[in-house]
Amino acid sequence: MASYTAFLPSAARGVLPSCRVSLRERSIAPFLSVFQQQARGAKTSSKVDPAKAKRDNRSKDFKQQSLKDMEKFALCDAIRYIRAFEVGRDPSSTKYEVHIRLKSMRNGPVIRNMLRFPHAVQTESRICVICPPGSRSEKEALAAGAALVGEKDVFDAVKNGVIEFDRLICHPDSLEALNKASLGRILGPKGLMPSAKTGTVVEDVAMRVDMLRGGTIYRERDAVIRLPIGLLAFSPEQLRDNLRATLDQIKKDAAAINHIVNKEIYEVVLSSTHGPGLTLNGDFKSENSPSTADLSVL
Amino acid sequence: MVNIFKRIHKLRALLNVRIGPGAATLPSSSTATKDFPPITRLHLTYARKIYGGHQGARHFWRECLPRLKYYNPGVSMSVKQTTEQDGPATLTIYFDGEVSKTSSSGGGAGGAGAETDGYAPAATSTEKTASINLKDLDYQEIWRRVQAVTGASAVPSKPEEEAEMARYKALRGKAQEDRARVASIRQTKRDQERMLLEARGEVERLRQA
Repeated sequence: MASYTAFLPSAARGVLPSCRVSLRERSIAPFLSVFQQQARGAKTSSKVDPAKAKRDNRSKDFKQQSLKDMEKFALCDAIRYIRAFEVGRDPSSTKYEVHIRLKSMRNGPVIRNMLRFPHAVQTESRICVICPPGSRSEKEALAAGAALVGEKDVFDAVKNGVIEFDRLICHPDSLEALNKASLGRILGPKGLMPSAKTGTVVEDVAMRVDMLRGGTIYRERDAVIRLPIGLLAFSPEQLRDNLRATLDQIKKDAAAINHIVNKEIYEVVLSSTHGPGLTLNGDFKSENSPSTADLSVL
Repeated sequence: MVNIFKRIHKLRALLNVRIGPGAATLPSSSTATKDFPPITRLHLTYARKIYGGHQGARHFWRECLPRLKYYNPGVSMSVKQTTEQDGPATLTIYFDGEVSKTSSSGGGAGGAGAETDGYAPAATSTEKTASINLKDLDYQEIWRRVQAVTGASAVPSKPEEEAEMARYKALRGKAQEDRARVASIRQTKRDQERMLLEARGEVERLRQA
């Protein structure tokens, strides 16, 4: 059919088949359905190939964009801008934060650890301990300063959406009860679910509570580590000390998994609760920076 | 992390902090004159909603205070947002030593006087305060009055900053054009798809019949 319509002028080609359809409707329908089936088959086979090709082409590493056009700042200049953006905000709740971009593979182990700053950022984090009621570890955890200790009552509170803690530690004796309570769906996305891997399922609960109270946990997500590193009221020197401690610790963490993957720090961005993110150039001061005493005034 | 170009564009906000109303240095201990003594801190109080004349005060915080803070990092600035719409909308300025002539005149040309703002921190023994009632003023007017009271000297914008600002303005104009262009392209595509769908529907109907 197509063979003789091919010789007709295009306008006639449009008109003719429509006439024919009205004449031979029964025979055209199966033809059409066959055509559609073929099209569908052709479509799926062609769909698989590019997807496969795409998967193969994707880099194994996270893409690193060139920082050539990015403006970089000395620490004091970045602080000056951030303080301008944070003017009039509540100084007790606004914090400096740092985003550390790593050169890293897409898969493989990620950096996750905890660190203690030279100048504490959070005054106290509330820690919840799950352990069998009436056990020795319950007493110890309470003595170490855990905010919430229990088993059944904690599960019930979490199921009701009442999560009044920032960290969750579990004693191995209660692990089975915890898994039975199936709280993974609630706690998992918040990063609170205890697991031996993160060091939150431990025998010595009291020691862990003591460690966690002053520490900040961080982890790498999509090749970036984000963590708060100071209160807005900190002086540039205090912030520098905290930043240095953070970077040293992360370098150590990277060195620890050096035999599996190679990770290095690519970019360090200083930001704040309401402020923009400013890429740091590694200097403390530039010649235009105001005095550090001025930068400590809220 | 966010795409680097997005981040670069976001940092235009920095230019906005450097130039505009409020980009001025307040007299410090080294630049103070007899008329304009050094300023130690500023305190702003206003209510949460705009009715009752609190709009200008909030805009002043949004627009001018970041620039003032940028050029005067050593001056402490605090803001208190209240829920009292009938309450004060006041800027309290704390001077070191003597209050300047303009501000001590009280409700004169500068509009400064002894406003009672219960939220402003108390002045120390060496400080004098002057406060400006900000109710029903727009932020530019507030800024003019603050300049008159404090003797703040505006920081002139550099030619390269002006050029950059002009570039952003041109980009904004270009963005508008581009938006219209892309919208028309998308609309054409949508129309075509609709027509195709209608034509297919026709075939389907013929097959049913």
